[in-house]
Parts: sequence; structure tokens; C-alpha cells
Amino acid sequence: MKKLPVYTESIPGGAIVATNLEAVLNFGRSKSLWYLLFGTACCAIELMCTGASRYDFDRLGMIFRASPRQADLIIAAGTITKKMAPRLRRLYDQMSEPRYVIAMGGCTVKGGPFYYDSYSVEKGIDHIVPVDIYIPGCPPRPESLLEGCLHLQEKIRKQKLSEWQEK
Amino acid sequence: MTQQELTAYIQANFDGKLTLLDTGRAEPMFEVKPEDLVDTARHLRDDPQLKFDFLCNLGGVDTRQRLEVVYSIASMTKHLRLDFKLALGYENPSAETITSVWPAANWYEREMNELYGIEIRNHPDLRPLLLPDDWDQGHPMLKNWDAPDFIRMPEL
Repeated sequence: MKKLPVYTESIPGGAIVATNLEAVLNFGRSKSLWYLLFGTACCAIELMCTGASRYDFDRLGMIFRASPRQADLIIAAGTITKKMAPRLRRLYDQMSEPRYVIAMGGCTVKGGPFYYDSYSVEKGIDHIVPVDIYIPGCPPRPESLLEGCLHLQEKIRKQKLSEWQEK
Repeated sequence: MTQQELTAYIQANFDGKLTLLDTGRAEPMFEVKPEDLVDTARHLRDDPQLKFDFLCNLGGVDTRQRLEVVYSIASMTKHLRLDFKLALGYENPSAETITSVWPAANWYEREMNELYGIEIRNHPDLRPLLLPDDWDQGHPMLKNWDAPDFIRMPEL
């Protein structure tokens, strides 16, 4: 509760808590990020591991959502080829606002080991969709992904209602 | 049949259609002329001593002097392997399809067509396989290929 801007007025037998709508909405949104499955290469294995019991994504309120229409977040985990790029863009377009993108791993961020001598790999998904959080590594460990998600939560908590439609 | 026996058998029975190349390697490599390709392939498959019934791989090579198509075949019943290649010039490279002999060649030939620009004559379905549908930047596996966002590894 420390992260919410609340005003507490103690009264005999209880308390009145006052806060603003924006803080409540952002708190709710940041603690229930449903993410779209988009794993294309080795990073997807780390993503699955993060979702499994050892690292447990569920404790952040994050669950796999295999439909773009109910997902808040797309974690692009893996190499995005030029042939795959229009599909990624289409899925992103189908997601409802406000939506977020995490670029996980070297390939997604900047082409990774395929930066040189490759005709087929997109050199960074920021050419296709706007990215909120970049997670470096090849592949990044689950801890890195969790850290990235925590940063995204912080970003969401600081967002203004008026910014929702801007992207 | 050992490698030596296979080499001798092919030199004796294919009346010069498969020429043994001096590659300096342990495994023999043959070259076939474009006009003999399909006949030779069918002969290799149907010969009762060889029975090459499986196409393992089919790939293109850009040697900077010429283009080559390399066929790797195997015999599942006789436990044999054989490689042979087809040499093509840079100008209008074109090869006859061998899908009538080994249907597995279908996808390999499509792939080679888009990556090396080798035209495959009489192929049943020569659509692009790997590259995007609206690709207009040429044939990326050629050594002299270039594109705006293609970054070559620096020489060390």
C-alpha cells in the first residue's frame, strides 16, 4: 500500500482511506499484466521457465494469455525474421490500448548474433513496434525478465490517464 | 560395397555421365552434365546394385567462379552415400528439376531458386519458400549480394 498515494483518516473504530482514481487504476493494471505468447526462439525457453514454478510469473499477477485481444503486454522472445515481422505487427495491432512491448534477448533488441551476414533477420523490433522495455542477454536469465517486468510495472504506475491514447 | 567399389562401379556402369572429380577428400565427388542430370539420377535410383532411393540434401554453392548444385543421395537398403554436382555459369543459371526422380527435391529446389537465382525448369510449384512474399532484393546467398540493411562481418 506504500506505493499508492493514499490519505488515511483514523476515526474511532476504523479509518477512512482516500486516494485518486488514476492511482487505483494504474495499481490494478500494473499488478495484472496478461502477456501475449510470442516466443520464436531460444528466449522462449527462458520465458517458459519464468512462467514455471521455480521463478513463478504468477506472483506478479502475470499469466499467459494466448489471445491478443485480452493481453496488455507482448513479450517478443526470440529472433524476428523479416517474414515474421508483419505477423508481429498484426498481433500488436489487435491488442487493445493501453498496450506494452517487452523486447527480450539480443535477437529481438538488435538482431543478436544475426546482426552480421544475415539477410533474413530484422535488426531490432523497434523497426516494427514501439518497445517499452529492452532486456539484453543471449538469452537473458529469468531473473532479467522478472526485473524487466518490475520496471514495466513501475512505468505503468507512473502513467497518467491522459497518456493512455497517445501511442 | 565400399567407397572404392562404389566409385569403380559408377565409373564402369555410367558410361562417362558421372565424372570423378579430384577433390583430395576421402569421399568421392562426381560431376554430371546438365543434359544428363535426370537420366543419371533415375539410373542411380533404379540400378539394382545401388538403389539410391533417398535424397538427403540438395544445395547451391557460389564459388565466385561458377554456381554449383550439389546433390547428396543415399541408399537405405544398400547403405551407400554418394555426392555429385552440377556446374552452372553465372549467366542465366538453369537446371532441370529432379522432382520426378526424388519428390523430396521439391522444397530444396524452391529454396535454391530464391536464394541463388537458379532457374528450375519444369518444377511443379516454384513459389518462394523462405523469403517474404514481396521480396524484391535479389538472391541473398550469392557472394556479391548486397542490400541497404545488410551488414557484412568485419574482416579480422
